[in-house]
Order: sequence, then C-alpha cells, then structure tokens
Amino acid sequence: MTHSNDASYSLPLAAAEGLAQEDFGKFTATWMPEGDDSDLTVLDCFDLPLLRSGRLLLEIRNTLDLLTADGQILTQTAQRGGNFVTDLPDGPVKRALGDLSVLRSLLPVGTGKIRRETLTLRDDEDKVQCRAQLRQLITADGGALLVFVQGLRGYEKARALMHSKIEAAGGKTFDDDDLFARLFPGRVAYQAKPEIVIASDEAAFDIANDIIAAHILVARANEPGIIADHDTEFLHDYRIALRKIRSVLSLFKGIYEPDQTEDLKARFSSLMAATGRLRDLDVYLMEKQKYYALLPVALHGGLDMLFNRLSADRKEEHAKLAARLRSKSYAKEIEKLERLFTRRKKLSRGPKADLSAHGYASTLIWKRYDKVHKIAAEIGPNTDDTEIHALRIHCKKLRYLMEFFAPAFPQSQVKSLIKPLRHLQDTLGLFNDYAIQQVSLAAILHQLDERPESGALELAQSIGALVAMLHRLQIEERAKVMDGVARFDRAETRQRFRSLFREGH
Amino acid sequence: MKIIACYSNKGGVGKTATSVNLAYAFAAAGKRTLLCDLDPQGASGFYFRVKPSKKLTEAAFFKDVERLTKAIRGSDYSNLDILPANLGFREFDVFLSRMRNSRSRLKKALKAIRADYDVILLDCPPNISVLSENVFRTADAIVVPVIPTTLSERTFEQLVDFFLAHDLPVKKLHGFFSMVQGVKALHGATIAEMQSRYPKRFMKTQIPFASDIERMGVLRAPVMVTAPTSAASKAYEALYLETAQRVEGE
Repeated sequence: MTHSNDASYSLPLAAAEGLAQEDFGKFTATWMPEGDDSDLTVLDCFDLPLLRSGRLLLEIRNTLDLLTADGQILTQTAQRGGNFVTDLPDGPVKRALGDLSVLRSLLPVGTGKIRRETLTLRDDEDKVQCRAQLRQLITADGGALLVFVQGLRGYEKARALMHSKIEAAGGKTFDDDDLFARLFPGRVAYQAKPEIVIASDEAAFDIANDIIAAHILVARANEPGIIADHDTEFLHDYRIALRKIRSVLSLFKGIYEPDQTEDLKARFSSLMAATGRLRDLDVYLMEKQKYYALLPVALHGGLDMLFNRLSADRKEEHAKLAARLRSKSYAKEIEKLERLFTRRKKLSRGPKADLSAHGYASTLIWKRYDKVHKIAAEIGPNTDDTEIHALRIHCKKLRYLMEFFAPAFPQSQVKSLIKPLRHLQDTLGLFNDYAIQQVSLAAILHQLDERPESGALELAQSIGALVAMLHRLQIEERAKVMDGVARFDRAETRQRFRSLFREGH
Repeated sequence: MKIIACYSNKGGVGKTATSVNLAYAFAAAGKRTLLCDLDPQGASGFYFRVKPSKKLTEAAFFKDVERLTKAIRGSDYSNLDILPANLGFREFDVFLSRMRNSRSRLKKALKAIRADYDVILLDCPPNISVLSENVFRTADAIVVPVIPTTLSERTFEQLVDFFLAHDLPVKKLHGFFSMVQGVKALHGATIAEMQSRYPKRFMKTQIPFASDIERMGVLRAPVMVTAPTSAASKAYEALYLETAQRVEGE
C-alpha cells in the first residue's frame, strides 16, 4: 500500500544504464518491461500548473497517466468529451487534478517516446520487498529517466536501499528538479506574471521599459491561444498584460515625454478595446450556472434564449477578434511596439525618467495610498455608488504600483500589505460586477424585438427577474464593502504604509 | 471498515486457503485490506512469503498496539497487507484471557489500524477460546467453511450452540461448503440436509476439492493468482462476491 515516504525521482536519461548494473546486495533485482515503447504527449494547462507542482500528465495511446511527486502513477482512460478537467470521465487521474482551474484546458506541451519498466527487489523467499516503476521519456531535444519508488509496508530497509541507489545515480526529487527544462530544454515556460528584477537605484525610465517589454511578451504569448480558442484565460491574460502596460503609462507620470505618453496610451488602448466585447461575453457565459441557480425553473426558458443569444454573439465576436489578431495590420502594430521597447532608441525621456526606482515608487505609492485612505474614510451607509467605484479604481492602481515596484522594497513587507488590499479588491470587484451586469442586461432589454412571436416577452421576464436578483446581491455585497474598508483602513496598516513608502526614503 | 473473521472450530477444512483468497479478492476489488494471521498452524502469511517478525515473538508484544502495527508487512499485491503469525500468537490468546474483563481489547487493538484499511480479515485458530469469543464479538461477519460430512455438521451445530449460549448474534455466521466432492453421495445429502436446517446461514457458493488449491503450498500465492481461470479460482471469486454482499447488506 502507498506510503508517505514514497517518492518520485528524475535523473538524466544516461543514468538508466548505470542503474541497471547496480548491485542491490542481498536482494535480487529484476527488471521487467511494462508493455512496448509508445508515443506520448505531455499535457498541461498553458501556465503549466502540473509541471510547476511536480506532476506530469502523459497521454499514452488511450490512457492518461498522472505521475505524482509521491511515487504514484495514476491511470485512467484518456477518452474525453473536451479538454477541460471537468470533461474527463471520473477516475483517479481526474480526482488528482481537482486543484486545477476549471477555466483552463489541458493542452499538449510536447511529444516524445516512453519506455516503461518495473524494478523489483525480492528477498531469499522470493518475496517482493520494494518496487520502482521506471519511465524513460525521450523528447525531441531532451529527456529524463523518472523513477517512482513504492515501498511495501514493513520493508523499510529495502526501500531505503532503493532510495539511496537512485540518489547516488543522480536522482533528484520532483520538488527539487525542473522537469520542464529537462524535457524541453531551451523552451521558455509561460509566466503570466513575469519576474522583473529591479535595483533600488535603477532609473525609473528603465523600469518602465522593462515592465512594458515583459508584458508585451506576455500578451503576445497568448495570441495563438486566443485564435485557437482553447480557453477563455488566454484572452483574460492578454488583457491583463495590456492593462498593466497602460497603467504603467498612466501611473508613471513624467517618465516619457507627454506627447509620446499620450500616443502610447492611445495605441495600447486601441489594442485593448478590440477585446472588450468578447471578454464581457466570456464572463456572462461563465456565470451561466449562477444565473440559472438565481431564478426559479419557470423562468429558465427565458434564460435559455438569453444564453443562446450570448453564445451566438460570442462566436461572432471571437471570429472577429481572431481575424484581427491574424491580420497584417495587427502584426505590424504589435511588432512596432515590441521593437520600441526592446531597442528603446525612439523612446523620449520625460522629466522624471532618471529618478531612482525606490524614491520614485515611494512617492507614487504613498500618494495613491493617501487617495484610497481619504475615500475609504468617507465611506458610510449613504455613500454614493460612484464613490465606491472610484475606490475600486484607486485600489487597483495602488495594487499595480505595489506589484510593479515590489522588488525594490523588502518583499515580505510589501506582500503583507498587498494581502489586505487584495481582500478589499475582491469585495469591491464583486460589488462592481453585480452593478455592471445589471446595466448590460438592461441594455439587452432595449434591443429586444417587440413582435410577439419573437419570444421577447419570455426573455424580458427572465432578464427582469435576474436584474432584481443581482440588485439584491449588490446590496448584500455593499454591506461587506463597509466591512472590508474598515478592515483595510486601520491605523496599523496606515502606519505600515507610512513607514515603508513615506519615511523609508 | 469491516472486520471479517474466517473461522472453523475444526481443523483441515480449507480455512486458511479461504482467508488467503478472500483477502486477495477484496484487495483486487480495490478495498484496502489487512489479513491478520491469528492461526499459528494456518500460516496464511506463509502463502504470501511473509516471514514472521522476530519482534513478534516477544511475550509483551500485544501490550503495545503500536508495535502490532509495526509488524504489518505489505504483500506483493496492491491494497493487501499482512499481519504475519508466529509463536507469539499463543500469547495473543493468553494476553486476551488476562484481559478477561476488557473484552473490547481486540477492538481497541484493531482501532489503531482502522483508518488504514477498508477490510480486516482475521484468519482464526481452530478452537473456541477467549480469543475466538473476542473475535465473534468484534467481527461484522464470521465466514465458516464446512466440509459436508457428518462430523462437520456436528461442529457447526456446536458453534451455533456456543453463539446461543453466549448471547452472540447467530446471524453473523455465514457458512459455506468447502472441499466439496461432487461424486460423493454423502456430500450431496449433507449439503441438502444442512441447507434446510439453516436456510439463512449458508451461502450459495461451494468451494470444490481441487488440486489447484493444494498446490498453493508449493507455489506460495493465492490460487486466484496462480490459476485464475481454474474452477477453484472462480469459486473463490463467487465466494468473495457473496461475502461482500452479505457484509455490505448489514
């Protein structure tokens, strides 16, 4: 049976031969092939949550094997209705993938060949005392020997011997190894939040350029996924990358000449604007189940009509955006922007370009925090919704600033300030979502075809009910906003902001 | 978790072969199973090539539940662990008799390993002792192999009487006919007679007298592994299904 101290190792491919000649002392070692060599496909989501958590999902013929960090190889059929984890039939692999985002699809990361063997250690009575499953993965440019040790209860010596032989042959546990680099050397793993190194005396101009250049790459990495429509997260990440660039341009005042700042803002905004409608539709469709749960069954007919309409609109919008991303004019524009921020010769320095990161960031963050604090202090039961929206925007800007410049400050202190901020943002976000959804549902109402045969009446009834429910949820969320604000806007938090960003320079 | 005892107050009835194959069948069906070899003559551990632990021979062993769990050994098959027998199990009996006033002692010992297993199968020694009484109280089901002969008929009767005399639930007893030889008229007559006398106490499955089962001692593995397509193996599979159904049906 499985044990807490079972483990998985990865070794260079070349280690296989040496291991085969190992002497296991009083134990008899036998090597048995498990089936023929096969083709394999490594599956993961685009942001590689499996590989990054020491797991490897392999599709081999008609089966899915999940290789875990604790010595286990889970197996189930690979037949599936789609590429999301929820599309897999129930089984041990699906259950072990339960932590993955429901919004991300499983995609091929790469292909290769696999050779499977079992190494068994037996005692003088021919009793098995330890087993190890070996998997040689050979990809186009790399490969690895993976070993999964499964000890048997009560046979600790055999297990310890197995572990020591594998470690002596160069075995590293999955947690300590970069499986992606072993299997796909030279390839860059996608990072939605690129790490940008900032020296505290670095010029603000260089930091802005670094952040923008890195996020253009993030946006571009998502283009093929948006076009192929693998999942909605590609567009989401693309938009976040562009939004971050835009906020650098608007928040880092005086880094570039005003004319260039305005020009860049407009260009990135227009890239972003083309994606807005599709993202809205994605969000609606994601909320589908929630909407159905909000309304009685009698009103579901109208929701069916609403969602059929939204699905059709989404299809159309996606086709439009995909065509745009494939167009020559888009390629020309994005490549121009990319070049601008990698070469940097055509960027004109503004009056604050040469300020040092630390001082520049401290001023910006403190000012923004002060705004948040002032609005927060005013918020009460009778505050207008527009104030709450303003607070949300300022919080978002504050969060971006803190994240951009986090490397220039003591990491743990910045992190501990971002955490309560994020809590507040979550509440504000929900409040805002409910408000926006009411407005856009109302907009659908206005476009309805009034002829009786169009079914507009049924649709209108459902939308009306939905708006009422969303309004109630918004009111409930509003009460939480008050709580969230009170928790964030505390004297102690204010003091920590002050000491880190006001007195620290 | 379910505790199933394999018990017979008469030796040589195929009890250990039953324990071994039932345990294997439960494990193969995905149940995490522990086979406890409580019979010093039975050696179900022997069939799984598990050596008795030296530590187990110490008299004080069962004072310490933790040391009991340390004696557990993984079998060669997935989901199946063995608690091997040894001379020390005489002390298990003695120990339990000393604990006369605390009859739940076995239950307490098993509680410690409960979380690890779905099924605990006890291969019990062939006598009626304090240990067996403890087993009868603790187990969810007692599977009793019976050779369809007059003598076995009497021992089954004695077992039922013991249950009645000690206020133990008779419905926990699940008999089945073991080492059945179809050609023997006496076997057929005894089976008919006992089934009509105890209509609810006997399972339908019969385990045939088979050389495949005898060879287990040489091959040292369950017959369900060494001869999976044999009549004996199929009979054990049927016995497993029937037992599982009766245990789950409670």
